[in-house]
Order: sequence, then C-alpha cells, then structure tokens
Amino acid sequence: MWPQVGRRGPSREAQKAPALWRLLFHVLSPRPADDAAALPAPEAQARLVKSALRSQGYPRPALVQLPEDGSQGSRELLLALSWLLARGPLLERLLAQIRVRLGDEMPVCECEVLASPGPPAPRVEADGCVDIRHLQWLMGKLRFGWRNLITSQQEHCALLGKVHSYTRGCHSDRSLGHLSVTEAELLRDPEGGRQLLRRLESENARLEAALEWRRRELVFWQWMDTVLDACPPEASQPTFLPRIPERGAGELELVARELQALQEELQAVVETRRAAWEARVGGWGPGWKATQRASEEAVRQELTALQRAWERGGGLAQPHGPHRLVRSEAGTLGGPGLRATEVIKALRSQEACLEAALRQLQGQCRQELARLVGALPGFIWILPPGC
Amino acid sequence: MLPAGCSRRLLAELRDALDACAERQRQLERSLRVSRRLLRVWEPAETPALEPTPGPDTNEEARPPARTPSPQDLKELELLTQALEKAVRVRKGLSKAGGRDEAPSRKSRSIVSPATTASVPPRASGQAGRRASETKPPRGVRQTTVPAKGLPELRLLSVGDQTCKARGAQAAKPEPGLRDQQMAPSAAPQAPEAFTLKQKGILLRLPMAFRKAASQNSRLWAQLSSTETGDSMDATTTAKTQFLRKMQSGWPSSRLCAAEVEAEVGRLRKACSLLRQRMGEELTADPVDWMQEYHCLLTLEGLQAIAGQCLHRLQELRAAVMEHQLAPWPEGRLPSAPSSCGGGADSIWSPQLLLYSSTQELQTLASLRLRVAMLDEQIHLEKVLMAELLPLVSTQEPLGPPWLALCRAVHSLLCEGDLKAARVTLKLF
Repeated sequence: MWPQVGRRGPSREAQKAPALWRLLFHVLSPRPADDAAALPAPEAQARLVKSALRSQGYPRPALVQLPEDGSQGSRELLLALSWLLARGPLLERLLAQIRVRLGDEMPVCECEVLASPGPPAPRVEADGCVDIRHLQWLMGKLRFGWRNLITSQQEHCALLGKVHSYTRGCHSDRSLGHLSVTEAELLRDPEGGRQLLRRLESENARLEAALEWRRRELVFWQWMDTVLDACPPEASQPTFLPRIPERGAGELELVARELQALQEELQAVVETRRAAWEARVGGWGPGWKATQRASEEAVRQELTALQRAWERGGGLAQPHGPHRLVRSEAGTLGGPGLRATEVIKALRSQEACLEAALRQLQGQCRQELARLVGALPGFIWILPPGC
Repeated sequence: MLPAGCSRRLLAELRDALDACAERQRQLERSLRVSRRLLRVWEPAETPALEPTPGPDTNEEARPPARTPSPQDLKELELLTQALEKAVRVRKGLSKAGGRDEAPSRKSRSIVSPATTASVPPRASGQAGRRASETKPPRGVRQTTVPAKGLPELRLLSVGDQTCKARGAQAAKPEPGLRDQQMAPSAAPQAPEAFTLKQKGILLRLPMAFRKAASQNSRLWAQLSSTETGDSMDATTTAKTQFLRKMQSGWPSSRLCAAEVEAEVGRLRKACSLLRQRMGEELTADPVDWMQEYHCLLTLEGLQAIAGQCLHRLQELRAAVMEHQLAPWPEGRLPSAPSSCGGGADSIWSPQLLLYSSTQELQTLASLRLRVAMLDEQIHLEKVLMAELLPLVSTQEPLGPPWLALCRAVHSLLCEGDLKAARVTLKLF
C-alpha cells in the first residue's frame, strides 16, 4: 500500500486523484486497515478524508469542494498530503505502525491500546427502553471479562517467562540474550520463518527508501512551494455544517460537570475557612504581613508546578509505548533499558490514585442516593454489609 | 424501565466496554496459542528442511548434539555401552531358550514409547537423534539385522531417571551391532527427534539470513530516529515551516480544530482530577500551627481560582464547538479513559527494552497495567452512570415498588463496584 516515497519526485499530476484519496484515507485512518473487506467505498473514503482533515484544522476550503468521485483535484490532494507531512513526523509514524515486531512487546501504558481499538462490532441499535437489570447484567459480564483477561494475561506471562529462560544464551545480540516468541516461532516453523524474513527485508527496503526521501526532501518542498503559488486564489469560504456526533459533545459536558462540581465544593470550603481565619486574625498587627506574603509566594509556586502537570508540553516523563521484554536475572544485564521495578512502582502509584478517585465517586453516589431516599418519610435505607 | 435516550446511551457505553474487553481477550488468546505450541513437543517440519546455507530449523537443531557431544553425553554413552555389553553377555548365557517373539517386545516398546514421549517432558539425553514413536525407521533397521528376535526400540534414558530406566532395562535387549550403528553419530540421515524448548532451547541458533536482516533493520531504524542537524536538515525545516505558513495565509481560521479541542478537553479532565486530588490532600491534612493553616487556606483558594479558569476555558471550547460545528473523526472511538501519558516521546520509533528478572515480576507488571486500565474504565463508567441514573432517581415518582427497585439497582451499580474484584491471586502455571 505505502508507495516507495523516495522514488516519487515531481510527478505528473493528471489522473492521480483517486490514488491520492486512497492514500490520504489510509494515512488518516485511526487504525491501519488490514483487511480489504472492511474498507468503505471510494466516495465514503473521500468523505472521511475531508472530515478528518477538517477536524485536524486543514486551512484550505478548496478541499471540501472537491468532488468525491476522484475526477479532479489531484493538486489539492497533493497539497493536503504535503500539509500532513510538514506538520509532523508522518512518515516515521506510519512506518512505526506497520513495523515488523521481532520481540515480545508489552506496552507500559495504555495509550496505544486505546488508540487502535478493534473493529466496531456490527451493532443493531435497539431503540427500545431497557430494564436496569439488563445493565446490571452487562456490568457483571464486564467484570467477569476483566477477571478472565487478567488470568489469561498471567498465563501468558508465565509462558513468556519459560520461553525466555529456556532460550537464554541463544541470541546473537548480546544485549537481548534470549529468543523471543516470534524468533522461536520462526525456528519451529520454517515456512513462517521465511515469511517473516521476507517481511523484514521489505521493511528494510522501505526504511532505506525513507532515508533516501529524507536526503532529497528539500527538493520536494521547493517544488510544493511552486505548486502552491500556482493555485488560483480562493474566493470564498464555504460553510459546512455537519452533525456533531453525540459522543464528542458528551465528553466535554462530562468534564464541564466535574469541574463545576469541584468548583462548588472548593467554594464552600474556602468560604467557611476564610471567614474563620479572618475572625482569628482580625486583631493581629501589621507585623505578620511579611510572613503572609512569603506564604502566598510559596503557594503560588506550588500551584504553578501543579498546573504544569497537565499543560501542553508539560507532563511527567512517564514510561510510554511498547517495550521489548528482556529477561535478565537480577543485575546481569546492566545495559540500557527500562527496569520492570520502576514501571511497577509507577503503575502502583497510578493504581492508588485511581482507586482513591473511584472510591470518592462511589461515596458521592452513596451520599446522593441516601439524600434522595432519606428525604422521603417512611423509608429507611439499609446498606448491604461492607459498604 | 429506563427512558429510551438514557437506555441507548448507557447500552452503547457498556457495549463499547465489552467489545474492547473481548478484543483484548482475542489478542491474548492468539498469543497464548502460539506460546503454548512453542512449549510443547515440536512437530517435525512438513517440508524436508534440507536447504543449503540459510537452512534453519530441525536439521540445525538435531545436528549440534551429534556434532558436539558434550562430556556428559559421552559419559552416558560409555555407561550405556557397558550396560548393553553386559546384557549381551547375559543373554548369550540364556540364549538357547526359546526365541523372544515379537509381541512382547513390541508391547514393551509401545509401553516405553508413549510413556516417554507423552510424559512431559520426555526424558531424553543429548544423544544423537532417535525417536521412539515413529515406527518406520526402527522397524526397517530391525528387520535387516535381527529378523527373528524382536528388537525393542531402545529409548535412551537419562541416567538419573529410575522409573523409565527400569522399564527400559526390561525391554532393551539389542544387538551390539545394531547398537553401534545407531550410535554412530549422524552418519545415516536420522529422523528428527522430538524437540522441546525446555530440553534443547539453549541449542537453538537463529539463521544467518535472519540475523543479517534484523541487524540491518535496527541499524536503519537508528538512522531514521536520529535527529541529524546539518545544513540540509535546517533548510528542510525552514522550507516546511514556510510552506505551512503559506498554506494558512489568507484564512483566518478559528485556530481551533476538533483534534485540538479533544486534546484540550483531555488536559482539562486531567486537571480536574489533579485538582481534586490536591484538594483531598489539603482537607485531610492536620495543620500544626497557624502558618500551616494559612498555607492550607491559600492553597485551597488557589485551587478554586484554577478550577474557575479551567471551567472558563471549557466554556470557551464549548462555544467554539457549537459555533464552528467542529466534528471529530466520525468513526473514531474516543478513548474512554484518560490517557495519563502526555503523548509520549515520539522521536523514538523502535521499541526500547524492558528488563525483568523473574516471571513473578513480569506477571505483577502485566496485571498492574491491566488493573490501571480497568480502573480507568470503571471510573469513566461510574461517571456516565451517575450522570444518567441519579437524575432518574430524583425525578421519578417516588412511590411503589418500581422506584424502590430502581434505587436498589442504581445503588448496586454505582456504589457497590467491588474494587477488589479483579485482584489476582497468582496462579503458578
């Protein structure tokens, strides 16, 4: 699918539109589409491309006006592709996505898992009302599913551990030391091994093409400059009003509600405390103003640091992304690499935070329910044990 | 019964969660199948793996033991030879007694073979390839040398194994000539013996072609990841920036696209949880003196101010979404859990190493990761359910059993989520 980009130079633009629509679709797709059966029709692909580009902020309105049948517009599509290329490491990202994985990889965080969900199951949206017991049943099913998942994962780790320890010393790469499941598989199944080798070799070819592209890139951008200049000036900005999907707005509303609730809680607490404080401090002289200012400064610094934790570009350097598992009996391999103990520590603190948050939410619910029920005369709220 | 809109939304959320869980399970099952198969006895390759140089697989596995018999192997061989010579001497003494017919020997062979190949792991020493369960080669050999007497297949046993040895000693009355032939290291093409990773994993070697390709691969990735600075790179970066600027010019865009809105909403959600966490800390703290009290008060006021700012920003975003009808990728599934990572270092494209020292450690890591994901999801579902169900309880007619049933159900859904439900007791596999 991915063309040898290095070989593409200033090319003829005619009749390239359908190919460019397809290319853009694959590039912008949230997950790499492996099976041809799941691909939407070309017109649908074009529509999705338009929507995706707009949601990323593509600045030129001419794109939206392009016909979706691929009869024209190759220049605009080329501009769109270049725009994506210019904004970020698109090439590297795509190559990394389809990379041949030779090791046993385990993600140390959850981002990638969420970013590439499986195909959405074909679902008939029942328009009817459901009984709340159905929801309870689904919830129970979910909890059971998670339990199974954890058990399967435990078994998988045990098996991985065995494979790694049985093959220690086999790997030509000393820093790895043992074979991964993929590598052992290729030895067990020679035909599969040959396929893996072929895939690896074609990836190497792709990587070399990418490096070649890097060397020639300047020419491309100089050329795109001329392409852009050659475009006729745009007259008007069209208006487009698609439907806002419910889910997108919902996320924003949830956060808004949370922040609102938080602010109200803080307000209540602060008011009482401030009043109490003023009452105590009212009679104090000006002598303590200096200490007051010092406290203010200290708090300001602390809160700025706190804010940095969520600001753009900030953020704690958490371990991120998939890592290749390497078994090394404690301390033997002192080389580069993340230590499992560190990751475990980070995960434990994350777990503690999340447990606290969940407990807090549940407490909130309990209070609310008690309030609602308690307001009615004649009802006694008896909680099950352990709550 | 819940109202239609509410039902639809909640069903969608729960089904999304179930789908995601099922997908993870599927992927895990796939990996489990592969790993289990690897740890069993390896079947001989379908295609005869008689390739020139890049030949990996069974030939390579079977040959090293024969080419390089370890000292232990040689010792075992020695002991075995002695035992067999003695057996021959003993047999010669008894020899004129009626011939052993084939049946018992076959039976004994069949006793020995399944016992050894089916037992996990089969007890095999490092001797040159011999297989117990395949019938053809031994039978052929048997017929040429000892037509009358049954020649039970000798399954070589590791010296230390008592039970199998006893059985084998019963069954084994081979001819020395045949023994020599079978012991001759890999002169004749041998049937590949049963291979298990546990026994012979250490002997595996990756094929040369693969090794070359793999090292070239990592070299190329390293080159791609390196951010070279040089005139050409700078010129390229400048050209790109200029191009972007030109693309943007003339269009006073709203500076807010759906992707950015989504990212900011995510940041604000993280902000909310961090603020709340800090508030919790301040409220539970016990100030010792008035300085600390004042510090606490100021902190809480600061948190309130920041919360107000975040809320304001969110309202701006909401207005922008409404006004410009910003739509995200329609088929994309918004991540249902806040990703605590800030997007990560995407300048490193090939995977880094994660070193672990024991299976227990690996299991702990994996189960913690799943637990964090599960908690994320639980928190999200809790919020969604709260938002949908609590209003129902307060607005519905508070009379009669249906409302009570609703209350009970809502309580069980919202308040009784068992935090410890998925705590795992490590099973030793």
